[in-house]
Amino acid sequence: MTAARSLWNGTITFGSVAIPVKLFSATSPHTLRFREVRASDGVRIEHQRVGAESGEEIAYGDIEKAYDEDGKQILLTKEEIAAAEGTHPKVVAIEHFVRAEEIDPVFYDKPYLVGARDGGDHAYRVLLAALEQSEKVGIGRFVLRSRENLVAVRPLGGALGLQTMRFDDELVDKDDLEVPSLRRTPGDREVKMAGKLVEMLQDDWKPEEHEDTYREAVMDLIERKRKGLKPKKAKRRPEEGGDLADALEASLAGGRPKRRTSTERKAATKDSASAKASSGTKGSSSTSSSASGSKASSSKKASSGSKASSSKKASSGSKASGSGSKATTTKASSGSKASSTTKASSGSKASGSGSKASSTKNATNSGSKATSAKRSSSSKTSSGKAAPKRKTTTTKKAGS
Amino acid sequence: MARSLWTGSLSFGLVNVPVQLVSAVRDQDVHFHQVHKDTGERVQTRRVASTDGEEVDWEDIAKGWETDDGEMIVLTDEDFDAAAPEKTRTVDIDLFVDLQDIDPVYFDHPYWLLPSGDGAGPVRAYRLLVDVMGNAGQVAIGRIVLRAKEYLVALREQDGLLSLTTMRFADELRSPDEIDAIPQGAKGKPSKREVDDAVALIGELTDEFRPSRYDDCHRVRLLRLIDEKRRSGKVEIPEPEPEPQAQKAPKDLMAALEESLAKARGAKGKGTGGGKAEAPKRAAKTAA
Repeated sequence: MTAARSLWNGTITFGSVAIPVKLFSATSPHTLRFREVRASDGVRIEHQRVGAESGEEIAYGDIEKAYDEDGKQILLTKEEIAAAEGTHPKVVAIEHFVRAEEIDPVFYDKPYLVGARDGGDHAYRVLLAALEQSEKVGIGRFVLRSRENLVAVRPLGGALGLQTMRFDDELVDKDDLEVPSLRRTPGDREVKMAGKLVEMLQDDWKPEEHEDTYREAVMDLIERKRKGLKPKKAKRRPEEGGDLADALEASLAGGRPKRRTSTERKAATKDSASAKASSGTKGSSSTSSSASGSKASSSKKASSGSKASSSKKASSGSKASGSGSKATTTKASSGSKASSTTKASSGSKASGSGSKASSTKNATNSGSKATSAKRSSSSKTSSGKAAPKRKTTTTKKAGS
Repeated sequence: MARSLWTGSLSFGLVNVPVQLVSAVRDQDVHFHQVHKDTGERVQTRRVASTDGEEVDWEDIAKGWETDDGEMIVLTDEDFDAAAPEKTRTVDIDLFVDLQDIDPVYFDHPYWLLPSGDGAGPVRAYRLLVDVMGNAGQVAIGRIVLRAKEYLVALREQDGLLSLTTMRFADELRSPDEIDAIPQGAKGKPSKREVDDAVALIGELTDEFRPSRYDDCHRVRLLRLIDEKRRSGKVEIPEPEPEPQAQKAPKDLMAALEESLAKARGAKGKGTGGGKAEAPKRAAKTAA
């Protein structure tokens, strides 16, 4: 286990309940790190701070910030800027709660994982369980690195997550854009064909199946360069122009056009069971989840679903925050398309408890194809430690 | 209008639509210049070669990859393009999924994907995609390469246009299993009563999500500071308040929950202390 370092220690409060917590980054980007170099000889670049007029180097300690207002400079010292933020108790005070489905994902910015400290475990778990059950998100504010943020406290992969949020006026609306008139409507036939094409390409969200292939290509390129080989010649894709209806027809006739080319290759070797199951098994899962206790909330789910245009959507909506098992039940009853089990399991990756649901299924219904798909997809990401955790939530579900 | 960051084509089956990418987020931060504290002279960053100290023009700067044995491999923009040419110019739609299946934690930066140019054919093809995605109520998953990094992207219909959001890869997200401080296990599992009470409290404190009600207080405070400094030439730095006592976990969680619940209900009943959180909810109900 990597010893994750916490970024912030403080308290989450709601009502008069205080939960002492630690904050951890929820991401570890795998971006390749390059250095700035001079193109001609690869010599490293250094940054110097110099006066714009004098060209003389300025020591870091001699630098302050200035705000430019109509060409007039207003100088602000570090102390003044710090004072503007005030002193902050180290608290994330949840001001209110909102239904998770009301928040468009566009508002969510940087995610963090929340851990408990100093006897906060119990209250932490109560808040987490209550948020999962109610499918709600706590909204509050907190200061990180002398900047106040709006944040959402919500379940994240079986833990409490905290995600900073964008402010409304930071988002660019449609009205701010210049768009050519889109009044010319496509023909019925085109819409129908395109709709068919969408259907052909429908699948479950299995995040772990999507890998960064470009990164490999760049590493490959570096290797070629190191050996003094020429980079591979760029192959240009032929331009497909012409008639829209023709192109659609050709796409439909060609079957699945370029369906996940790179991933599929990988899937073929690593994860063949999963690929097969997701395309092959339809509805074989209907009974599989009942073991995990589908509980009374299925009716509630249906009603929350009425908001989203179809019952299928409704069921998937529930997944986002919570338990795959519930979702599966709804889905099975509404008889909607395809591998509902796999769906539950893919929701799980993000939300944790789903994976537990699927593990229950593994135990009870290991015969079905869909189950094996799940197992492979969840085992791929979860380390050995996942096992006890899954068990935990299974018990939780049974208890509630 | 915001500048387009990328132009290329969106490919859906054999249909290619010329498109451009525009950020859906605008920078509203208060920006400062760096200046010399005494002279007020603006500070510039000069890029110099570490060996000879000579200034290097922006165009002459490339990316370097240092190998394990210390060799520097120089990569230019053309090299990056050549690494995966098709990916740098097209967004390929690979599959369609339900939006609700994707936890928002996967979403990174939002953009608008707009038609590029106003030729009748391309615009009609764009409109077709908007209509079809709107009908399907689904998100298209594809890929794009931006600034030498590949992103998984989610495309969907929003306000009659297409939006594109870059996504994090699954292996870029940390699993809670990596973090010891995240409590789990059968021991210490909350009781049904506690969870029910917490759900009830959450219910009392629930409101609609109205994004426009939240101001960026950080920005407001900085602007106020600038204004004060401009008018009077100085800023009062208040004595730092003593750090409030660290809040502890409640000894009796049930008691704390019930106390909060009673308070929240009481406030609501009286219709006074409910605060702004409650008011709009009631208003919405009456309207309906």
